[in-house]
Amino acid sequence: MSDSSTRASVASCHSDAAGPAAAAGAPVIALAGAPNVGKTTLFNALTGSHRQTGNWPGTSVAVGHGNWRPGGREVAVVDLPGSYSLDPLSPDEQLTRDLLVEVPPDRRPDLTVVVLDATALARGLYLLAQIRERPCRVVAALTMNDIAARHGIVLDLDRLAEAVTTPVVAVDPRRGTGLDRLAAAVVAGLDRPAQPPPQELPSCCHPVAPAPSPGPDDPGQAVDDPGPTVDDLDLADARFTWIDAAVAAAQQRQGRPLLTRSDRIDRVVTSPVGGALVFLAAMWLVFQTTTAVAAPLQRGLAGLLTGPVTSGVRWLLDLAGLGQGVAARFVIQGLLAGVGMLLTFVPLMALMFGLLAVLEDSGYLARAAVVTDRLMRRLGLPGRAFLPLVVGFGCNVPAVSGTRVLPDARHRLLTTLLVPFTSCSARLTVYVLVAGIFFPEHAGSVVFGLYLVSLLFVVVVGVGLRSTVLRAMPDEPLMIDLPPYHLPVPRLVLRAAWTRLRGFLSTASGLIVGTVALVWLLQAVPVSGNASFGEVPVQDSLYAATARTLSPVFTPAGFGDWHTTSALMTGFVAKEAVISTWAQTYAASQPPPAPGQAAAPGQAATPGAPDPAALGTAVRQHFTSSSGGHPAAAAWAFLVFLLAYTPCVATLAAQRREIGLRWTAFGIAGQLLTAWLVAVLVFQVGRLLT
Amino acid sequence: MTGPAGAIVPGRGGPLRAVLAAFEAGAGSPAEIAARTGLDRAVVSAAVDHLVRTGRVRAERLASGCPEGGCHGCASVASAPGGTGPGGSGPACGSGHGTPADPSRRGPVLLTLARRSPD
Repeated sequence: MSDSSTRASVASCHSDAAGPAAAAGAPVIALAGAPNVGKTTLFNALTGSHRQTGNWPGTSVAVGHGNWRPGGREVAVVDLPGSYSLDPLSPDEQLTRDLLVEVPPDRRPDLTVVVLDATALARGLYLLAQIRERPCRVVAALTMNDIAARHGIVLDLDRLAEAVTTPVVAVDPRRGTGLDRLAAAVVAGLDRPAQPPPQELPSCCHPVAPAPSPGPDDPGQAVDDPGPTVDDLDLADARFTWIDAAVAAAQQRQGRPLLTRSDRIDRVVTSPVGGALVFLAAMWLVFQTTTAVAAPLQRGLAGLLTGPVTSGVRWLLDLAGLGQGVAARFVIQGLLAGVGMLLTFVPLMALMFGLLAVLEDSGYLARAAVVTDRLMRRLGLPGRAFLPLVVGFGCNVPAVSGTRVLPDARHRLLTTLLVPFTSCSARLTVYVLVAGIFFPEHAGSVVFGLYLVSLLFVVVVGVGLRSTVLRAMPDEPLMIDLPPYHLPVPRLVLRAAWTRLRGFLSTASGLIVGTVALVWLLQAVPVSGNASFGEVPVQDSLYAATARTLSPVFTPAGFGDWHTTSALMTGFVAKEAVISTWAQTYAASQPPPAPGQAAAPGQAATPGAPDPAALGTAVRQHFTSSSGGHPAAAAWAFLVFLLAYTPCVATLAAQRREIGLRWTAFGIAGQLLTAWLVAVLVFQVGRLLT
Repeated sequence: MTGPAGAIVPGRGGPLRAVLAAFEAGAGSPAEIAARTGLDRAVVSAAVDHLVRTGRVRAERLASGCPEGGCHGCASVASAPGGTGPGGSGPACGSGHGTPADPSRRGPVLLTLARRSPD
């Protein structure tokens, strides 16, 4: 291709570092290929210790170079940076293009070895197509053949070589196999003249119209209106026609398209009916397992808090001389009762987060997203909205922020208004507590049912908004590329579960402690009776009086009791506060048993301690009373209200930031009204049936 | 698509245009595109990657939870370094950028047609 002086100058400029250089006049072989195809592994296998790596002069792009002796003939080998194509999008790809295309022909490599990954043949052939568009010497080296075989990919290399009019050699650089065949192909290639481009590929000198620049207002323009000139899409399409023919030739003996194991599973898991059924079954299994397995752990933790922890704290308070004072009541009836009760849910949350992480890491949740997306689009809702909504089932705050991925302002508005109806994990603790009290044999199924109700709220409210205040919203085509199924990696599962559990613990240790302190303060202020601050019975406190004022609103829903109303009030701050408030309120309501007497029903053995059994008895008594003897119907109504009303102040703050005060207020009103109407409906129908 | 010596007929449909057309017609996954176009799944996958690389299709990684490092959008990641989120400049929770070709990815990738301005 060139004289010896040119060869020497090309070889010497491959690095600014000193190192082994090919003999003057030695041909230069370039290794090219996409990233992660085993190109550098092949380079190392070919050059052994006769290699080194350094930045290409004038750039920060690392290039390896070394010597190789195929068939006893010395050549210089250049390991070019990984490149998907000769249309550069990075400095690495620019350098590859410069060395293979932009430099004068007499300074280009004598032969290029294009390294192809057998598991992603079509992807690698694009670079080969572009290189073949010019007269050149090329050999294709096929790597990853063992992995391809494990995936069931069988390639006919002779047919592939014929289709791409290029010698193709299978190599395994890690084991050193196939290198002799590659050497023979390279030597043969060097001894023959440059190959002319295949006629099926575009000419290298074809005039190309400039690609349109990205902009905000012209979806799909490049597809619908390519214009009269040949553009980059035409050129790429010609290459893909060539690639398609090559892949078809190489795989033609298989008779029918190869289905991977993931494909076969997806035929069921993402089908319209089967996919929905599998999704429902998977989620039911998660909640059933969570409630069944976590129950004994929760009881054990509660026993620990009720017994040794409470006794220890009492002993410490006595030791400090605070055993009977206001501070002691705050610690025992406030912090221990409220936050302690919430902490008994840690095993449950950890288990559920772990199971969901297993589903996610296995690749299943991605399939659930496809099923959800399909449902939303059929209902006329924006398909992309499913993403923040899926996030909303973990926490509503990032879900509201996640609406930024939606390009259309009306889509963002609609989705932000729908996010609060997705049942976040904070609500789960209340579901489990209430379901355990009223439906102990079917707690898992009840929780599962509430998640279905949550989906129903999203769909019905979404369709309602699209039919009224948010009509005529555009939608855009979208596609979901699914990963193959994986065996979950314990490290990733544990990390994902811990990240979410940490959020739960963070809320419990921050916001909930603050709420507990506020509730305790309100419970300490007397509004009736003669008791002084901090000594007042809770039913005579400012806290109870406020709740009593509001509780008649919930009478038609069967839970118009001030204890329940007060829990819903603090639930406005954060849903975790519902449990802590209940525990705190009932703990403050309990007089200590007389010395030598057993605790009464509904009363904790240790007053003020977080006892789930005592709390359950007390809650059930008040629901029975407020519902006129229909506690189950009232419990369902309460759960539905809890699901649908304002999730927390943090979500409201996020909504205000995304959609403004007016729409946030609209959302609050809509959620409260929807929650109240449905709760009343549930109770009124439920009490007729129970 | 091509004639003698690389002559190209502008706008004539090849695999790339077939993939884009199926995409616009509502195909929801590469498997569905392969079924509609008759193209090999590997060719469809490579075509989608090419369209993402060239900016005709936008790709975003999906996640049902918070991304690695957090987004500062909720308490669960409040202490995580390097995150972005509400008030920040980076992607929000549950989203990110990536291409279908990334071999390390374990989650789905959402693909949408890019919006392009006229010449």
